Amino acid sequence: MQEVSAQPGVVPELKPKSYKSSSELKKRLWRNKLLYVMLLPGVLYFVIFKYLPMYGLIISFQDYKPYQGITGSEWVGMEHFQRLFTEPDFLNILGNTLILFGMNILFYFPIPIILALMLNELRGTFFKRTFQTLIYLPHFMSWVIVVSISFVMTTMDGGIINELLSYFGFEKINFLLSPGWFRPMYIIQIIWREAGWGTIIYLASIAAIDPGLYEAARMDGAGRLRQIWHITLPAIRGVIITLLILKIGSVLDLGFEHVYLLLNSMNREVAEIIDTYVYTAGLRQGHFSYSTAIGFFKSIIGLIMVMSVNKLSKKMGEEGVY
Amino acid sequence: MVEDRTIGGRLFAAVNFTLLAIITLITVLPFIHVVAGSFTTSAELATSKFVLFPKVWSFEAYTFIFSTNTIIKSMGVSIGVTLVGTLFSMFITALMAYGLSRRDLDGRNVFNFLVVFTMLFHGGMIPTFLVVKELGLIDSYAALILPSAISAFNMIILKNFFQNIPEGLEESAKIDGCNDFGILFRIVLPLSLPAIATISLFYAVTYWNTYMSAILYLDDSAKWPIQVLLRQIVVLASGMDYSASLDATNPPPDQTIKMAVIVVATLPILMIYPFLQKHFAKGAMLGSMKG
Amino acid sequence: MNKKSFTLLLSALLTFSMLTACSGNNNKNNEAAPSNAGTSGGTDTATTAPEPEKPTEIKIMLPLNTTETPPDTIKTEVEKLTHTKLTYQFYPADTYEEKLNSSFATGSLPQVTYLKNQTTFIQMKESMKDGQFWEIGPLLSEFPNLNKLKPEILNNTKVDGKLYTLYIGRPLARQGIIYRKDWADKLGLKPPANVDELFAMAKAFTEQDPDGNGKKDTTGIVDRNELVYGAFKTVSSWFGTPNSWGEKDGQLAPEFTFPQYFDTMDFFKKARDAGYMNQDFAATSKTDAVNMFVSGKAGMYIGGSMQDIDTLNKDLIKNFPDAVLDTHSMVAGPDGKFAQWMIPGYNNVVLFPKSAVKDEAGLKKILAFFDKMMTPEVANLMYWGIEGTHYTVVDGRAKPADDKELIEREVKGFKDSVIGEAETNGMYQSLNVLPGRIHAEELLLENVKVGVAYPTAALDSATYTSKGVELQQIISDATYKYIYGQIDKAGFEKEVQAWKERGGEKIIEEYNAVYKK
Repeated sequence: MQEVSAQPGVVPELKPKSYKSSSELKKRLWRNKLLYVMLLPGVLYFVIFKYLPMYGLIISFQDYKPYQGITGSEWVGMEHFQRLFTEPDFLNILGNTLILFGMNILFYFPIPIILALMLNELRGTFFKRTFQTLIYLPHFMSWVIVVSISFVMTTMDGGIINELLSYFGFEKINFLLSPGWFRPMYIIQIIWREAGWGTIIYLASIAAIDPGLYEAARMDGAGRLRQIWHITLPAIRGVIITLLILKIGSVLDLGFEHVYLLLNSMNREVAEIIDTYVYTAGLRQGHFSYSTAIGFFKSIIGLIMVMSVNKLSKKMGEEGVY
Repeated sequence: MVEDRTIGGRLFAAVNFTLLAIITLITVLPFIHVVAGSFTTSAELATSKFVLFPKVWSFEAYTFIFSTNTIIKSMGVSIGVTLVGTLFSMFITALMAYGLSRRDLDGRNVFNFLVVFTMLFHGGMIPTFLVVKELGLIDSYAALILPSAISAFNMIILKNFFQNIPEGLEESAKIDGCNDFGILFRIVLPLSLPAIATISLFYAVTYWNTYMSAILYLDDSAKWPIQVLLRQIVVLASGMDYSASLDATNPPPDQTIKMAVIVVATLPILMIYPFLQKHFAKGAMLGSMKG
Repeated sequence: MNKKSFTLLLSALLTFSMLTACSGNNNKNNEAAPSNAGTSGGTDTATTAPEPEKPTEIKIMLPLNTTETPPDTIKTEVEKLTHTKLTYQFYPADTYEEKLNSSFATGSLPQVTYLKNQTTFIQMKESMKDGQFWEIGPLLSEFPNLNKLKPEILNNTKVDGKLYTLYIGRPLARQGIIYRKDWADKLGLKPPANVDELFAMAKAFTEQDPDGNGKKDTTGIVDRNELVYGAFKTVSSWFGTPNSWGEKDGQLAPEFTFPQYFDTMDFFKKARDAGYMNQDFAATSKTDAVNMFVSGKAGMYIGGSMQDIDTLNKDLIKNFPDAVLDTHSMVAGPDGKFAQWMIPGYNNVVLFPKSAVKDEAGLKKILAFFDKMMTPEVANLMYWGIEGTHYTVVDGRAKPADDKELIEREVKGFKDSVIGEAETNGMYQSLNVLPGRIHAEELLLENVKVGVAYPTAALDSATYTSKGVELQQIISDATYKYIYGQIDKAGFEKEVQAWKERGGEKIIEEYNAVYKK
């Protein structure tokens, strides 16, 4: 605790914005002292609950045994990383993860934006509020429920969709077991569960737009689409970019549960991602070190991605996330 | 507001409305299925594939889950944790977000980077457990709140919103003699109601969904929040036991019970949305400034 | 309204802000309150009246397999009978490993730690060897009841020849077929005597409209995404496949190198291709499989446990009051011989961490509790509940009360923690009413007579412990792909080769090295 609380006092000196005379800096620091006071609780939180436990990453370089602890476990250097990179399926798994992530960005990411714009254009408070409330419902259903409902609908053994297909004389489709259908099913389920919820952030930014801008545009004879293009979109661009950068940071971190529930022996070639691999090869066999090493690898890739995208966005004149 | 009465405008509105109506229907159907399923018998659920309106009404599932006070107690825990947690989190998040939103703050980028860094790197379950244990939080409700008091994501989003507020307003407040706290509470927060509503909702939902910290940090099962109960029932009833252990002495709970618990556990958090929703209306910011 | 609620929020926040701005160290405040809350759980136990000898205080951690933590009804009775003060800490079975691992790593396991299943047991083996848990083998003879535990099952739970655990027993071979007897009778079919008749039954149930609705909407077999506790392993043992490992030229070899394993895959391939089993079985969960069966879509449910018949029957007759179920397991292989695979006889085990049990005297006190648990009185209490409330005794057997919810809430949580089995702890057998269930109980005994033991249960392979799960996945994937016609025999052999290269070869060596001894 002692050294922790000493930390915030030191931090402001970490990196002066630019080299100016130290007295000027001191003056500015003093003027902004209340701002640092404001940061204090947050900084304390991050130090105690986020940075302090990070020593746990050490076990990536150890053969960690719970009963020996970090101090007693044997050091193995890069062994776990070597194992990961030489795993025969590594490239396949990495590829699967990247493809799912790419589809996520391509097919899921724009949808909440479009939905939010559509909702915003809706006249009449009643429908607006009703639709908003209803489309965010699915977010509250766990993946277990979402997947089991979609099983019931898509199974070849009497699922509604296949019954309809065969009623209209089409071939039944093996949605659940064919590698070709795994990715579409995955994305559709994500869109169904998250798209409505995702609109909230955009709706909030749209709400912050000055209505006067729209009125002025209408005076100039701008139609709905042009108003969206010239006023709404530019106004929420900052939020879109921030969300995109943060999302790109989670490139290898797709989440375990959803994919695991859809995964089976027949679609593993396309459905095995890093998170499901960690579960079988690491956690289920009690390999804490290996699991942590893979997590470490994911984090580093994420960091590289965030740093490059952030740089890019700053070059393009955007604020970036840091 | 002036209505757009051109043909193009009307067509646009009609298409927009229809599309949204269809989308809403698609998203809401499975939920109706869950609600209907909770009011029928397990026999009907098994035979008809996708119940949308129960043929046989039954309140058995609800009688079962309310026959002890466990669900009510854990709901109380969840409501309490959500309320206190959201307030606490909002408060320290807003402070930090405001501080970091000020462009004249030295070391701002370092702080921002260090926050983003925590979104990417995690120490893991066991070291965090040790911190919680050392702080003496085991078996206290604070263990459900403190370790996740600030979400880096929420903080960054809120900071983003704060940054969009014209700096001129802050300057003039400063001239009027406000200190930084004054600016935050009198100028910035009132101008950011949509953002405050959004981030509060995010925090509330996160606290409402608290599961793993309860399992790890609370040994006393009387203190468990609703999600522990919900997940336990859903997992048991879905036959999702990942270990696939063979156990006939424990037949799973009925599907209807699963659905009833989903309904009961989702309702309270759904109810807060309409209260926050009015802040999403267009021009909320301007309105609050004038009012 | 808008403005008012906002002012309220604002003033609340301002009050907070003054606090933080001045005290600065609000984390310490938060710290003080909880530590009180933390201890309060333990202190209320000390208020019991002073007795000549204080009851042994035992803290027990175990997985929760029911919807909610049971109340103290049963616990209080157990405490009276065993002169103990018990604290049961239940954690959801679904995430039990996480809790177990974090408690273990932070040295906070309680005196009595239940594991979850055989997989967690295998994971813990290494730490047992390292001396983290008490070895109890030498002490068992001091406890007359614990001494009754079956030596062959104790043997299966030994690690390097030492015993660290008490086991929760399970019948050795309870798998078989639960089928629609009403359908079979209608079509004039007898229970299948061999695998060909089994296939024929699946065919008839699919093609001859056994439910008489004029539509071809039934399937013979319903299976799920589980090779071991689903239909596959059970049928494979009927075909004569060894139980996971078998002897070939004096050496242990994995089951999937035996021709019978291929026969079994061909059986399922033929059945699925012809539509005699559910097409999506590789993605079907247990609940979905059960749903198909109880909604009258399928005629045979194979595998798992024939004791499931009670649950299946309960739901089935709600939908089809005339339906009749029966059980069957004596299906001969192509060579006319019977065989049933057997589990190692336990479902879970209990460990005693040295970090919580300080000395041997303390260990003996805890073992004394388990010794008493193995008396009929305590075992019945924990397994069946309180006589007269949760069950009654009819013909020397326990008949559960009609109030299933009461049993579910108060008793079920403790049921899975009773060590031993009815033969050793003397608890009542269940009184069965359903003819199919009575039949199942007879078949359980028959199964064991032709039972094939799991030859590697007591053997140890370091590679298996560390990579067994991921290696097994290669084989189960290949098995499904073969059944679904995506790979042929050569393709399967290739996967077996991959299994060997990635560590399987080593497992074979390691097992054979200890097997010889």
